[in-house]
Amino acid sequence: MKPIRCLSAVLLLLAALPGAAHANGRKLRVVTSTQDLASIADAIGRDHVSTLPLAKGYQDPHFVDAKPSFVLQLSRADLLIVAGLDLEVGYLPPLIDQSRNRKIRPGAPGYLDASVGCEVLGRPTQQITRAMGDVHPQGNPHYWTDPENGRRIARSVAARLAQLDPAAAGAYAGNLAAFEATLTRKTAEWEAKMKPYAGREVVTFHDSWPNFAKRFKLNVAGHVEPKPGIPPSPAHTLEIINLIKARKIPLILVEPYFDLKTPKFIAGKTGAVVLVFYPSVGGTPAIKDYFALFDTNLDAFVAAMKGRG
Amino acid sequence: MTILDLLLPAFVASLILTGIHAYLGVHVVERGVIFVDLSLAQIAALGTTVAYLAGYDLHSTAAYLFSLAFTFLGAVIFALSRVHRSTRIPQEAVIGIVYAVSAAVAILVMSKATQETEHLKEMLVGNVLSVTWPELARTAVLYAAVGVFHYFCRERFLNISMHEEEAVRRGYNIRFWDFLFYVSFGFVVTSSVAIAGVLLVFCFLIVPSVAAMLFAERLGPRLALGWTMGALVSAGGVALSFFLDLPTGATIVATFGAALLLLAVVRWAFRR
Repeated sequence: MKPIRCLSAVLLLLAALPGAAHANGRKLRVVTSTQDLASIADAIGRDHVSTLPLAKGYQDPHFVDAKPSFVLQLSRADLLIVAGLDLEVGYLPPLIDQSRNRKIRPGAPGYLDASVGCEVLGRPTQQITRAMGDVHPQGNPHYWTDPENGRRIARSVAARLAQLDPAAAGAYAGNLAAFEATLTRKTAEWEAKMKPYAGREVVTFHDSWPNFAKRFKLNVAGHVEPKPGIPPSPAHTLEIINLIKARKIPLILVEPYFDLKTPKFIAGKTGAVVLVFYPSVGGTPAIKDYFALFDTNLDAFVAAMKGRG
Repeated sequence: MTILDLLLPAFVASLILTGIHAYLGVHVVERGVIFVDLSLAQIAALGTTVAYLAGYDLHSTAAYLFSLAFTFLGAVIFALSRVHRSTRIPQEAVIGIVYAVSAAVAILVMSKATQETEHLKEMLVGNVLSVTWPELARTAVLYAAVGVFHYFCRERFLNISMHEEEAVRRGYNIRFWDFLFYVSFGFVVTSSVAIAGVLLVFCFLIVPSVAAMLFAERLGPRLALGWTMGALVSAGGVALSFFLDLPTGATIVATFGAALLLLAVVRWAFRR
């Protein structure tokens, strides 16, 4: 028995090595690229982890101004969770290099791409060129706006935390079960809330909502800015205006970090309503966690649709 | 709604912008303060961000007053920094410094605000297609007021811009008149940038004035040439953006560039 016990102790120690510091009671340091991922990691890790999001929910996650503290936080991180699909390609790779933290390099156990295993929409089926604007060749990176993808993210986070910190694996599994139970209950609630609007058409500012629309059975009829970052041409603007008028589309959904001038202009021409729709936790102080993200957006949606048929 | 309903306000906006900017452009080019509009627009944007940090809504009157107050501050700086004789520091250097510092401070202010500041970055971009008739009417009244003011003070403004020695000889208070010039200029630029964005406003200001200088020296012909060119190029740019299905503002800017090149070639062929 003794050699086996010894061996298993060594194995345990080896397995715990990536989180070696954790063995002496320190919390696992988890850095995430967005606040959504931090919220999910918090729910799974609870008091075993400390989480820190780099981009705030009110910022455009494609363009984040790097601060010196980012490098410091990355250098101390035990686990880095990214949304992937090139969402962070504009700022994160050089920061990982500068942090000189081998644990969180892509491919290392301390690097988790949350999109793996999630349902990703909008993978281009044709050759990508710069002429298409700022597109994501690997698919639409706003996949967490579907709660089922939130569940998948939570599962990968729980598995990875258990791998880095086997001592607390039981706690992570328990927290995951609790998170999933709440999510199942809330999702039923959310779907019931959106049921009266199934099949309704909306216009969105950017192509950020395919997962959300699919889950809650909305049809995205068009985008105000067809190519992200390039102002719309007169013909396209006219097309959207006439589309909204012809099909009586009630809402234009706009992320909080875009200027409302063009959407408001189109709304003024058509009678549609501009609704600020939050793609991330922290988009407004009321959205404190992943569940509040849907609560806030769906309540705003229902309120805006009241009396508009 | 037809394409004409959409393009007409943009075209009228271009005409109104050409009206005041082609005139102010003569001053700006004569004074050699080419980037003063970028600098004033940036300082006005900084005023808006500070208002936002102080808790006012972005599109509120208070935010507008903040941006005006900052524009006044910019006017004071530019009036005081007229070419410094003892050190020979060019005014363009001061303009550049004001631009860079106010842009940087705006970023710092934004990083301290808690939400919804990201689109401040787009404040200087503008979309000339989304201008509305009431907005145009307000802008036209404001520009007319500035135009009338400049008409009544034309002797002093023009002498200071074009014949500085003469202005000195007549004993004008140059700093005071410079201050008034930059304040009125700031009024115009702050609202035109909100409509058309920095790139387009820069073009309306500089290109007609430079093009006119290729062919004329006296003020009258220069203004006439500038206005004609501005109006024609605006119409051409708006039409091109429709036929080629391109973003309107950027198309007008590129058309201005092409027109200027064409005029330069014409002049070269004509004078050879």
